Amino acid sequence: MTTLTTEGRSTSPGGWKPSALRRGRGSGRQVPIGVLLSFGVLLLVVGWSVVPGLFTGQDPAHGVPADAFQGPSTAHWFGTDHLGRDEFARVVHGSASSVTSALVAVAIGVLVGGLVGLLAGFLGGWVDVALARVVDVLLAIPSFLLAVVVVSALGFETINAAIATGVSAVAVFARVMRSEVLKTRRAVFVEASLLLGGSRWHVLLRHVLPNASRSVINLAVLQFGLSILVIAGLAFLGYGDPPPASDWGLLVSSGKDYPLAPWLVYAPALVTIATVLSANRISRWLRKTD
Amino acid sequence: MTVTRTSRGARLASRAYVAYAAQRTAQAVAVVLLAYCFTFLVISVLPGDPVTATLRNPQNNFTEEEVQRIIAYYGLDRPVWVQLWEALSRFVQGDLGLSLRSNLPVTRLIGDVLDSTLVLAGSALVVAMVLAFAIAYGTRNAPTPVAKVLRAFPSLFLSVPSFVIGLLLINVFAFQLGLFQVIDSEGPAATFFAAVALGIPVSAQVAEVLITNLDHEARQEYAGFATSRGLSRSRLFWRHLLKPSSLPVVTVVALTVGELLGGALITETIFGRTGIGSLVQRSVTTQDLPVLQAVVVLAAVVFVVVNLVVDLIYPLLDPRVDLRGATRRVRPVSDLEPLEQGAAA
Repeated sequence: MTTLTTEGRSTSPGGWKPSALRRGRGSGRQVPIGVLLSFGVLLLVVGWSVVPGLFTGQDPAHGVPADAFQGPSTAHWFGTDHLGRDEFARVVHGSASSVTSALVAVAIGVLVGGLVGLLAGFLGGWVDVALARVVDVLLAIPSFLLAVVVVSALGFETINAAIATGVSAVAVFARVMRSEVLKTRRAVFVEASLLLGGSRWHVLLRHVLPNASRSVINLAVLQFGLSILVIAGLAFLGYGDPPPASDWGLLVSSGKDYPLAPWLVYAPALVTIATVLSANRISRWLRKTD
Repeated sequence: MTVTRTSRGARLASRAYVAYAAQRTAQAVAVVLLAYCFTFLVISVLPGDPVTATLRNPQNNFTEEEVQRIIAYYGLDRPVWVQLWEALSRFVQGDLGLSLRSNLPVTRLIGDVLDSTLVLAGSALVVAMVLAFAIAYGTRNAPTPVAKVLRAFPSLFLSVPSFVIGLLLINVFAFQLGLFQVIDSEGPAATFFAAVALGIPVSAQVAEVLITNLDHEARQEYAGFATSRGLSRSRLFWRHLLKPSSLPVVTVVALTVGELLGGALITETIFGRTGIGSLVQRSVTTQDLPVLQAVVVLAAVVFVVVNLVVDLIYPLLDPRVDLRGATRRVRPVSDLEPLEQGAAA
């Protein structure tokens, strides 16, 4: 809540930001309610993907034809689809693949991009120049197109879509990691550590990495949300696992064929939006508390 | 005005600018060539051999002779490096190869549908700019509760999958209000709504930067002084805040070009339009890799050229930019990514 009030104040005409003193001591430590809510949403979604059986008793693959196209009700929270399958169960069971693929994508981005950025920033010289060009190339290719090309070379499977999304995220992580490393390398405490006889490896592991990790974690949270969007887009176009699977993007894609049952589109769409929105909110909060 | 003009001219002719321009152009060319190599390698090194699989697929009606001719044309029987070199030298001459599907030159296939995508992307950009500036104006001049809601818009727009926006627009404006026909997918009304669907995520990025810049400018002393002199909010906005805040937007817009091209893939599919996006969609399902590669490289070329132009123009627009020793992208003084500047130093 505190952040909200300060934001409100800074919009006053003139826009003077109240001094840190006037905002009150320790005001930055309270977690805003929106952020708590976002954590709740992400926890719920992760829960869905780990133990789907705990959240829905229905079988996502088993349909009752007589119950087809029922609107949302207490029996079927998100309604039922054209085969009478419970849409809520399908969303819950589909979250495993959506969330895991996003995590895989983020992991690829963090590891590969982080390594590239670390090498470029820490070694400098021609390594930096060469890696900078590679990153430029990755940035120049629209990330969604890149993901489409990678997934069509690897084959249409959700795990390949995740890898493709990860590849398209490498450039961003490399860039952030590199600039963080450069920033830290010039810091006085790094110089002191080197003067005290610390080896390059010691400085790298003890000082540079921990300092850089903050921005990278923040970016990883943001990228988690973006990856969910990209993977949903790939699944929507049919580049993920085929229909018995129930990826969120795939659910929207199959739901769009029934305009008279709009909940088949809106339910998975709203779940996706809530997840991405939560990731964005948490990322913004992390950036602010830095 | 005369002062700016002479300084602009002087800057254009200055040695620092010429050196900077030459270096940036060389980099741009290098990136395009590397992008070609990169996509080539992604397609040929990754597991699976869709090319020969497609050629030998009995459905495609290629005779053995034709298969051999195509394989020889692409040099698929030779080592990857040789293939890459051949393809690259062909690319430099403007030959993007033949489609595996229709046997037509890829350049012609792309040329046929390019117009439609350019119209869509162009209108989406216009929609995005209008929307972004409207949101940014609202956050500074609307009553506080409204402004707060508007501040949440960019983040919301960025969280909605673009296909959901498209489906929502079709459902509301075509099915319920009947403002356009889905069948007439190239008509002006349908194009407008497709542009809205494509433009909304882009507008979020522009609006985010614009709002941050406006907040930054509003905290400057001159803004406080102008307010204390009795200037109204909207006058302060138009007279003082808008110009310095919108200059950096030029760079952001250039960076979203890739998104417009990538997003066209989904938007065109949903709205049933023909264009680069649907061409990609078709080439992916039929594994027509030369077309796919050509589109990716074309997108990279567009991205690189637009960003090069912006980078070359920017120092002329913003005299605060320091060109000495600048080899990478130059950024405005009130930088949003101070990290990048540190890196360039």
